Amino acid sequence: MTQLHETTATEPDIERLVEPHRVHGTVYTSPTIFELELERIFRDGWVFVAHDSEVPEMGDYVTKRIGRESLIVSRAKDGEVHVLANRCTHRGNRLCNAEKGSARLFRCPYHGWTFGNDGTLKAVPMKVGYAERFSALREDLALVHLPRVDSYGGFIFASLAAAGPSLRDHLGRATAAIDRLLDLSPTRRINLGAGWMKHEQNANWKMVMENNVDGYHALFTHQSVYDSIKPAKVSHQPSKVRVLVRDLGNGHSEIDYSQEYEKLDEEFVWFGRTPRDRLARYVAALEDAYGPDKTHHSLVVGPPHTLIFPNLFLAEMNIMTVELIGPGKSIAYTTAALIEGQPEINERMLRRTEGAMGPAGFLIADDGEIGMRNQLGLASRAVEWLELSRGVETDETDETGVINYDKSAETPQRGFWREWRRVMAEP
Amino acid sequence: MRSEAAQSAPEATIEERWKSFIYLEARLADEGRYSEWEALWTDDARYWVPMREGQDSSSELSYINDNRGRIKSRVAQLNSGARHAQTPPSMMRRLVSSFELLDRDDRSVTIGSNFMLLEYRMEMVTWGGRSIHRIDTSGRDLRLIAKTVHLVNASGPLKTLAFLI
Repeated sequence: MTQLHETTATEPDIERLVEPHRVHGTVYTSPTIFELELERIFRDGWVFVAHDSEVPEMGDYVTKRIGRESLIVSRAKDGEVHVLANRCTHRGNRLCNAEKGSARLFRCPYHGWTFGNDGTLKAVPMKVGYAERFSALREDLALVHLPRVDSYGGFIFASLAAAGPSLRDHLGRATAAIDRLLDLSPTRRINLGAGWMKHEQNANWKMVMENNVDGYHALFTHQSVYDSIKPAKVSHQPSKVRVLVRDLGNGHSEIDYSQEYEKLDEEFVWFGRTPRDRLARYVAALEDAYGPDKTHHSLVVGPPHTLIFPNLFLAEMNIMTVELIGPGKSIAYTTAALIEGQPEINERMLRRTEGAMGPAGFLIADDGEIGMRNQLGLASRAVEWLELSRGVETDETDETGVINYDKSAETPQRGFWREWRRVMAEP
Repeated sequence: MRSEAAQSAPEATIEERWKSFIYLEARLADEGRYSEWEALWTDDARYWVPMREGQDSSSELSYINDNRGRIKSRVAQLNSGARHAQTPPSMMRRLVSSFELLDRDDRSVTIGSNFMLLEYRMEMVTWGGRSIHRIDTSGRDLRLIAKTVHLVNASGPLKTLAFLI
């Protein structure tokens, strides 16, 4: 894709800024690097855009922002989901200004050009002004479809680059995390229709995302929750639990509690240890779909705690993504991962999401605060590097990736940064 | 202490008592007097900050949707001294006005009002919206049954809301 505005004057030496065990502070603060990220990660790469449950009915649409792009995600009458640039092809006006809704047509308020929800240009007022060029124009000036759109488990990803690896190749081993989430739904469908909490944080987008797979911070950042509200579901002392961190490759990483939960062989540890009989309808639906053994196992190991590079965090029964505003400003979006057709567990899920997540959440409000203070610290030029070597001696490689049985190891961060360096250094 | 304003003028009219109670609730929140604020609530309390007016909380997320137990947790976290997002606490003052009596029954009155809140921590942040207080009038002291806050910027994004709104 050749674009006139993609020149970058003084390109930083990306390869020097990321070493195997440390990264340079400017990767969080530099406006030049931020612009490069918009191009190389958020334009050329696969990014999470929306979930198909956000547009359940024909005509439903949501608008999203990925990097600088405003997008319309719509379900047209063919039942297909279209990911369209939200920009009138005539003079550039942002076409749809609602966050969500249902519409067959989008009409630009500037000159009245009207587009179908599949992107086709339906009507141009006073078209005689274009004389015989109109029919060619009509073809050329349909709304722009993003060149690549694909989905996995209802999660819709898109890329603005026409060429590149397939979504399956990009997701790699991370599809197992999405599968683990879907195992908790009797229909293998989840619903992200509860609304997104939008939390403005004065932190770089990478801090907002990578902190989610930091197994080291909880005891300190979230001390107030464990001391004054309730103890952690299992110990945060790495030596006391069989909780591992994993670099899945391609920048994806996770904290995996499944072996610890299997050892406990207790259902719903991840859901406030809710007794099974309080969720009888949900458990019965799961057993109907999968049988008692697989159901028991799914309810023991629970949902994933997995970051899918660059902008999708499967936060157990929450989903988080991030909008980039500037090097030091991001908006974290969070919603609950509801189970299709299961109001009994879903209402509890909503209350749990509200308790933990978002601008008033017992957990995330403090993560946001730490992210902001990190950004303030990183402004220093007296100190250049951040240290990410924790656990490097004990990392092991197996068929699931690079793992470390010390959950405080910085294995996920090293995986994130290796991928970041690769995609940023190779346009 | 709890009803210091509400009881200050025994000859006060019933409307003045409601207003004084709402001012007191605002001041305790502004001044970070968390436990005193918590003591205003009844056992069937609901402290609610939805993401839009008219939303159905059985299927939609709210920023805050606390029952009495969760109010206790919120206050305990603030009192812990390790709630980083409120360490140090925000300096705050709010103006409350435009009171309207919306409903009344044997147990309670429901009052609508508007507020504007100045919050200063790292920067000055302005918050505003409409509050709906349902106040228990059945006992000697007024108590808070429900408070709903419709923020003008509820559709977001919101800055961190770790204080009491």
